Amino acid sequence: MDIDDILAEVDGHAIPQETRDLQELTRAWVTERSAPEILPWPNALIERVLERIRKQIELIETQTGTPDPKLSFRLIILQTELERFKFLIRSYLRARLHKIDAYTLHHLIDPATKARLSDSEIQYATAHSTLLHRHYHSSFLGQFPRGLQRLDDSQGGVSMVEGPDLERAVFVRGRGGRDGESVEVVVEGTDTRFGLGKGDVVVCRWGAVRGVVGRGEAELI
Amino acid sequence: MALPLPPGLTPPETAFLCEMEMVTVIPRQRLEGLNLLGGPTPPLHPPHRTPLPFWLALLLKRQRRANILPPPWLSPPSLSSILDLEKKTPSFSPPPPLPAHTTTSPPFLPSATADAPPDALPYHWLELGEMLLEAASDDIPEPDNVRRLMRDLREVRMAKMRAGVNVLEGGREVNLNGVGGMEVSEGRAFIGGVVDGLRKIGASKEMSRREREAEERENGIGGGDEEEDEDDGMDT
Repeated sequence: MDIDDILAEVDGHAIPQETRDLQELTRAWVTERSAPEILPWPNALIERVLERIRKQIELIETQTGTPDPKLSFRLIILQTELERFKFLIRSYLRARLHKIDAYTLHHLIDPATKARLSDSEIQYATAHSTLLHRHYHSSFLGQFPRGLQRLDDSQGGVSMVEGPDLERAVFVRGRGGRDGESVEVVVEGTDTRFGLGKGDVVVCRWGAVRGVVGRGEAELI
Repeated sequence: MALPLPPGLTPPETAFLCEMEMVTVIPRQRLEGLNLLGGPTPPLHPPHRTPLPFWLALLLKRQRRANILPPPWLSPPSLSSILDLEKKTPSFSPPPPLPAHTTTSPPFLPSATADAPPDALPYHWLELGEMLLEAASDDIPEPDNVRRLMRDLREVRMAKMRAGVNVLEGGREVNLNGVGGMEVSEGRAFIGGVVDGLRKIGASKEMSRREREAEERENGIGGGDEEEDEDDGMDT
C-alpha cells in the first residue's frame, strides 16, 4: 500500500454514506434497466435507503403547515428530493418486475437466477406462476393427456422454459480493475478480445461482460 | 406495474440522471444546510460559490434564489475549439480526464462545476447544456452562440455515430469512447439492433466454432484430427 492508496481511502471516507448509497442505487438502477437478465438484489442498500425515506416523510409530515416561509421553502426542497428518490426506487423495482413477468418460470426454476431475487419478488413470482398455471389448467390444459400438461417440460432436449437473451448487445463503460488497470474481455466463439480501460465505452454482448460488471469493474450505461 | 419501457435508459431518464450532476451556484439568498437523502448540502451564503446538485440548482434558479455558474466548457471559445477537434478526427473528442483514485463515474464526477476542464465534453454535455440554456440562459455568456455551437457539435457527432455502424461486425466490440449519455439513449435501439442482428446471422458459424474449440480443449490441441472427429459423429 503506498501513499496514493491511503489518500484514496481517505477520499472514500470523506464522501458521506448517504451520497455513496445514492451513487450505488443509481448505478444499480441504470444497470438493471440495461441488463437483459435480473441482477443480484442489494438488500442492505435498499433497506438503508427505504429507512431514510421513511424518516424523511415523517419529518416532512410533522413540519408541513408551518407559517414560516423559510421553513416551507426548505420543505419544498426536501419533498422534491423525496420524489426523485421515490422515482428511482420505483423505476428500479419495476424494471425488475418486468423481467420477472417476462420469464417467471425461468426465475423460479433456475437456482442461480432465483438466488438473485428478493424475498418478496420470489413470493410474487410464485403467486404469479401458480395463478397462471391454475388458469391454464382450468381453461385448456386439463383436457390434454397427462403427459402434455407440464409447462416446464424439457423432454427431447428442448426446455419449455424460456429465459432472457443473455447475448444481447449492451453499452458498457469500464471502471478499471482493482488498481485502475484495464480488464480483459473475451467474446466466446469469436476472435474478439480487448482490454476495457477505465472510462472506455464499448458496445458488446452481455454474456462477454457480465463477469466484469458483476465484479464492479465495469458498468452498463 | 412492470415497467413497459424498452431496455436501457430512455432520453427522459437520461435527463433525470443528468440532474444528479454537481454544478456551481452563486446564491442570492441565505439558505441553511439541508440534510437531504442523498447527503447534506452546504449552507448558502451570498455571494460565495457553492457546489449543489443540478436539480436543486435549477429549483433555486427558477425561484430566482441563485444564479448558476456555467461550466467552463459551455462557452463559445471552448465549444468552437472542441468542434474543430471533432471535425478533424473520426472518433469522438476525448472525454475529460478521470480523477486517478475514484471509481465514481458520471453523473457523480465534478464535470459540470465551475472548475471542470474547459477543453472536453463530459458525458452529460448535451442534456446539461440544453437544460442550462433553457432555464438559465441569462447566466451563460453569448447564449445564442453557445446554442448554435451545441447544435453543430450534435450534428457532427451524430454523423460519427452513424458512420460508426460501418465497423459493426458480428461479435466485434464497438468502441464509443467519449460518447454522451443522450447520444447513447438515442442510438441504443439502432446500434443494439444491428449488433444483435449480425450476431444472429453469424450464430451458426460461431456455434460450430465453439464446439470445435471445446473439442480441441478436450483432446488437447493437435490431438485427434478433423476426419476422425467427423467419423465419430457419424457413428453416434
